Amino acid sequence: MKKRITEDRVVDIVVYILLALIGIVTLYPFYYTIICSFNDGLDLMKGGVYLWPRKFTLANYKLFLEDADWIHAFWVSVAKTVIGTGLCTVFTSMFSYALSRKNLMFKKAYRFIVVFTMYFSGGLIPYYILLKELHLLNTFWVYVIPGMVNGFFVMTGINFFGSIPETILESARIDGASEFSILTKIVLPVSKPFLATLALFAAVGQWNSWLDSAYYVRDNELRTMSYKMMTTINQTLASAANADAAGQMSQANTATTFTVQATAMVVSMLPIMCVYPFLQKYFVQGMMIGAVKE
Amino acid sequence: MKKTRSLRKGFTKFKRQKELQIFALAGIGYLFIFSIIPMFGIILAFKSYKITTGIQGIFTSEWVGLQYFKEFFTDYRFGELLRNTVVLSTLKMIFAFPVPIILAILISECHSKVFKRTIQTVSYLPNFVSWVLVYGISSALLSQGSGVINQILTELGIVKTGIPFLTDPDYFWGTSVVLSIWKSSGWWAIIFLAAISGIDSTLYEAASIDGAGRLKRIWYITLPGIKGSIVTVLILSIGSFLGGGMVGSNFEQSFLMGNTVNNATSEIIQTYAFKMGMAQGRFSYATAVDLVQSMISIVLILISNKVAKKVSGEGLF
Repeated sequence: MKKRITEDRVVDIVVYILLALIGIVTLYPFYYTIICSFNDGLDLMKGGVYLWPRKFTLANYKLFLEDADWIHAFWVSVAKTVIGTGLCTVFTSMFSYALSRKNLMFKKAYRFIVVFTMYFSGGLIPYYILLKELHLLNTFWVYVIPGMVNGFFVMTGINFFGSIPETILESARIDGASEFSILTKIVLPVSKPFLATLALFAAVGQWNSWLDSAYYVRDNELRTMSYKMMTTINQTLASAANADAAGQMSQANTATTFTVQATAMVVSMLPIMCVYPFLQKYFVQGMMIGAVKE
Repeated sequence: MKKTRSLRKGFTKFKRQKELQIFALAGIGYLFIFSIIPMFGIILAFKSYKITTGIQGIFTSEWVGLQYFKEFFTDYRFGELLRNTVVLSTLKMIFAFPVPIILAILISECHSKVFKRTIQTVSYLPNFVSWVLVYGISSALLSQGSGVINQILTELGIVKTGIPFLTDPDYFWGTSVVLSIWKSSGWWAIIFLAAISGIDSTLYEAASIDGAGRLKRIWYITLPGIKGSIVTVLILSIGSFLGGGMVGSNFEQSFLMGNTVNNATSEIIQTYAFKMGMAQGRFSYATAVDLVQSMISIVLILISNKVAKKVSGEGLF
């Protein structure tokens, strides 16, 4: 008996220590970024800032907010996320609602096309040529139109809508309701968990994407936060490497680039951090979509 | 006679559900344009194509057979690219795969509900930030001169000068695998935690009465209980093996964290194809290179589908 109690306690202690470590390792990088964004740039270069800002300042945020380029990029990202999510949610629900109806003609063929396009694609270059030929390149629409239908979302939608009993819909049809009003008045109101998950994942995807802004647009007007962040990080690393090589000096520049980079990172994390505690449930539900997707 | 009647019947049925059919056909039309049409573009790999000739050029340009494939296979970088792609994926398979399982077991073994929930919530946060942000974080933490980890290591006297995690080719694979683990373990732990919560709790009670300690219960009840999920996730990751398997993101990492200094280990087939096409405008060659990886991936997906069918009776498609 005694042996079991000690084993229990040892396991308990190990579990708590490991979990606490995992928690710290997961959170510290975010926390450190936040500290950097509130610390004086030059002071940060001296090193030794680990746990809290040593020379607290709001200058980085001021610099960020006064930089018209950053603010513009921020709003492009917002517009892209809002419009892209809206289009994806509407289009995906209509499409998967139709495919979820059991008496739909050619249903099998339609579903086959969805699944087939989930696993096979023409690859990068043909896709790029298609975007070019559709005159989507270097327009805002290249952000939102290509993501409107996602096979993984559609398959989840088919499963979800398929569980709604046909009899309810049929009685509405007899009353003369159109499919569109059945969808918006009956189906969607009872599908909130699915819609929330779909919208959340579409939004996160839009907010986080960077390759589209790097390669599908040329005008600075159309660049997103993610893209600007990527170029800034490249700059910081390059100038850090140069500073290392050249001795130290001229680090004033580096410090500000880095702290502004940290500030931009905090700003770009903000939307996700804000909704995260409230929408956690939907984040977890998305796992099932993600599990198939990865 | 019978045939025309059934045809007419089908047509009336189709007309009756024309609204639903419009919804469906809109989606199918969309997929046709954005997914099916590009598939025909694969023939670019066998042609000498110039982007200025547009879509027509795909059909009118000259056939060159396997010229671009030969060029890729005999390229002096071919061996290196293949090695980098396979090694990175294999390392992720070996090191990143077990972590979510261990994490899920740790979380399920924790008795404090509040602590448990907090750690779980925290653990999958990194999954929702972009790779650009992770790249930024890695620059803040790991850069040779000012990264906080290097600062701490030098302070503690473990190293004399910072470790070049981001610039030395020797460190690229390790850094990538660790960052993948950091980003996705919490997320994948969800699936294993769900499996653990599905295990019959009377099994644990019975084992405990029989005198099995905590470790024995983990080994003989928890692990066998989640074997099904482990196998499923493993099968799924076969199909995406070349992209990095379960944790994926080979392309994102190599693209963002690859630089001229660590290029020897960071360049993979996908980033090479991307650069050849987008930066150098060699569209046909890039399509051929991309196609080589796609062909391997298709074989892997088919294998994964077969295995899934055999193991669980249900395939991916």
